[in-house]
Amino acid sequence: MTPNLQRRRFLALTAGGTALVAAAKVTGISFLSNAMAASVESEIPKRGGTMVVSWGGNEPQALFVAGGGGSAPFQTSTKILERLLKLDNNLVFQPALAESITPSADFKRYTVKLREGVKWHDGQDFTADDVVFNALDHWKAISAGIALKSLTHAEAVDAHTVNLDFDVPVPEFFLKSTLAGQYQLLLPKHLYAGKEILTNPLNNRPVGTGPWKYGNWVRGSHVEYARNENYWGQGQPWLDKLIIRWWGDAASRSAALEAGELSVGYSNPVSASEIDRLVKTGKVVLDTRGYENSAWTVSVEFNQRRDFVNRREVRQALLHAIDRNFIINTIYFGRGKPAVSPIFSSNSLFFTPDVPTYSFDPEKAKQLLDQAGLPEKNGKRFTVNLLAAAWFEENAKLGQYLKQALNDVGIEVRLDSVDRATALKRIYSDYDYDIAVSNFTAPVEPVPTVTQFFTTDGIVKGAAFRNATGYSSPQMDALVAKITVETDEEKRKALIHQFAQLASTDVPIVPLVEMQSFTLANKNVRNLTTDANVQGTSLNDIGFAG
Amino acid sequence: MLRLIVRRLLQGIPLLLGVIIINFLLIKLVPGTLLDVMTAEQQVTDPAMIERLRHLYGMDQPAWIQLLKYIGSVMQLDLGFSYRQNMPVLDVILAHLPATLILMLTSIAIAVLVGVSAGVLSAIRVNSFWDTLISALAVLCFAAPSFWLGIMMIIFFSVKLGWFPVGGMETIGANLGPWGQVLDIAHHLVLPALALGLFYAATYTRVMRASMLEVWQMDFVRTARAKGLSRPRVIIGHTLRNALLPVVTLLGLQLGTVLGGSVVIETVFSWPGIGQVLFDSVMTRNYPVVLGVLVLSSLLVILINIVVDVVYSRLDPRIRSH
Repeated sequence: MTPNLQRRRFLALTAGGTALVAAAKVTGISFLSNAMAASVESEIPKRGGTMVVSWGGNEPQALFVAGGGGSAPFQTSTKILERLLKLDNNLVFQPALAESITPSADFKRYTVKLREGVKWHDGQDFTADDVVFNALDHWKAISAGIALKSLTHAEAVDAHTVNLDFDVPVPEFFLKSTLAGQYQLLLPKHLYAGKEILTNPLNNRPVGTGPWKYGNWVRGSHVEYARNENYWGQGQPWLDKLIIRWWGDAASRSAALEAGELSVGYSNPVSASEIDRLVKTGKVVLDTRGYENSAWTVSVEFNQRRDFVNRREVRQALLHAIDRNFIINTIYFGRGKPAVSPIFSSNSLFFTPDVPTYSFDPEKAKQLLDQAGLPEKNGKRFTVNLLAAAWFEENAKLGQYLKQALNDVGIEVRLDSVDRATALKRIYSDYDYDIAVSNFTAPVEPVPTVTQFFTTDGIVKGAAFRNATGYSSPQMDALVAKITVETDEEKRKALIHQFAQLASTDVPIVPLVEMQSFTLANKNVRNLTTDANVQGTSLNDIGFAG
Repeated sequence: MLRLIVRRLLQGIPLLLGVIIINFLLIKLVPGTLLDVMTAEQQVTDPAMIERLRHLYGMDQPAWIQLLKYIGSVMQLDLGFSYRQNMPVLDVILAHLPATLILMLTSIAIAVLVGVSAGVLSAIRVNSFWDTLISALAVLCFAAPSFWLGIMMIIFFSVKLGWFPVGGMETIGANLGPWGQVLDIAHHLVLPALALGLFYAATYTRVMRASMLEVWQMDFVRTARAKGLSRPRVIIGHTLRNALLPVVTLLGLQLGTVLGGSVVIETVFSWPGIGQVLFDSVMTRNYPVVLGVLVLSSLLVILINIVVDVVYSRLDPRIRSH
């Protein structure tokens, strides 16, 4: 078991702070001991107070964006708008607006029993009609993409029961993951029906059922949320007021945490080199929970339409030229671990270590390239165009490292580090690269977010974070098709392991590093998150120590 | 004077048109579009949905039609709609512009007051300890990047001493009343205005010192001194007034760069101004917002330069007579 797995397992299962501190010592990650001790303090927070939270990104373009809109609006909308289910950070589904979701024997119908007595913030009742409207007009039409492609019918059986019908068997974990996922927020039918969801002005002052009501948005500064006095969660939320505030600069966020102006910073609020200094002040604690369902990786993508890199043996050789530990230690300040396959090691449900791996061995890389008929001539084997999507500064640094590493095995590299819009166009619209440095985030359920990087139907010109490499394998397509409809959880798990093995053999797109995400908080904050994706937590249970 | 103002305003029309066309073309020439960014953020996979968004954003039309439509709507005082923010561009700008104006004007005021005072002091105490000290500080403020200066100020005055807030424009959630709110904003304004203003103050100090020394040697100053006028009267009434002209010229020229500098300072101090919006809009190719900000800021620079021209003619009657 790797140190990271060990830490996560302890965080998930252990109830005593002492044991966690001891675990930190065992794993040698001493900087986590404060966080661990804090994370297990299970007291109910005191009632009242105003809390300021932030995250490692910028202000959202709108408070809610139908279909997603990225991390920023996901964070601001999920305090107000809720989903049917929640995936907690032990990877167990918890009821939210649905009390139960039950499949039929053939897994083609799911019956959703809704929580009773829930009201929208404007006082209207939340009913089955709202769920039917969202299922058909919001999720299937706009936000869910291919995840709800097989949904054929949604019907309100009574005021608190909905049937969802599908034309193929749908695995239970897959459906629940979709409904608990980033894009399936519930909008009030009485305010959205018959209007354009994408441009509805209410998207900037949403009306939901969540623990927080929209208060005020001061553009460029913060958004204020008022306590929902009628929230269905017993006694929640604990705070009187919640404020999400944006600092555009990591150094300023660091200063705000230290000065106590910021209580919680989610999703890497400061640069990795600052963590130890802040924790040593004794005012701030570190927590790495809450990212189980949104693990980030930095990846290299090999364009199958281009010479040399369209050959599997060449791609495998190139991977032997890359020192992932050097990347982690030098570029990520040790905050990461080598990725094994597209199913990340943090995915305790579907991860398998039993896949082909590519150790750092430049001599072997040279040998494999020679065997592939690409010997070095005048110090050069061939030339590739390397495109680094510099939406993260680490990607630009990684591009520079890869250029050097590939040079060392005789490959000339023309490196381009480009901004977000340029990268999106060149990688996902124009396919204008040989090798690309990009990123993706993977939820626990691999279909469709991870699998569509590898399937032929994932090739959609202009659709980002999909199959841009052009990789097409009948074997892979058949395997993913089976995973999509296999309802036996054990058989499905075995199929996902096969997927990881095939992906790690053909290597059209290769995660290099599993990036470590973290939260920093003032030490008097309790219940930083109980959600598997911290950005989507409703913060219903966060509060100050009593 | 009225003719001058009208002439300047008319000269501004082709300038605004140029700003629109050049920036529209620049955004169109760089790779990537708003559609690429929005579909990526929304994780759109369905080709039909991509086409729906392309039509919604008006990007299914040729670029020249998009440009003509935009110019037409600007002529009707409509800056368009930002699909990214899901609101009219004018509303996006107006939500942020007051904060930027407060920061800009305060910084300029600090720059002029500090720069002119230090320049005068340096000139009347030329080659003294004060002159050397002021010159050294001016070089430091000029050489230090304003973002670095800002972060150092935050660490020292906010984190270590706790005198000023780390960022933002006001204390969130505080119910302070109108005057309390003004004082609260002023409290938040001190560090960002200093970080931005000191850079320009350094420039004005150097220009003012040189200008004062130059005017001090002129015949009319010598005559004033020979007539037995007091030293303060010679300095303030005769030398300073004439030496101010280069500073006023510089002020007009630098307004555009102050706006540029405020983008950086707004980021460091989380000041809710237009800078972050402009940066985000450039990065996401959200051209209606980029053009809207540039049109309004060009208009602002034109108006302030008209004010500068008026001040200039007040300071130097020879210009008025021309």
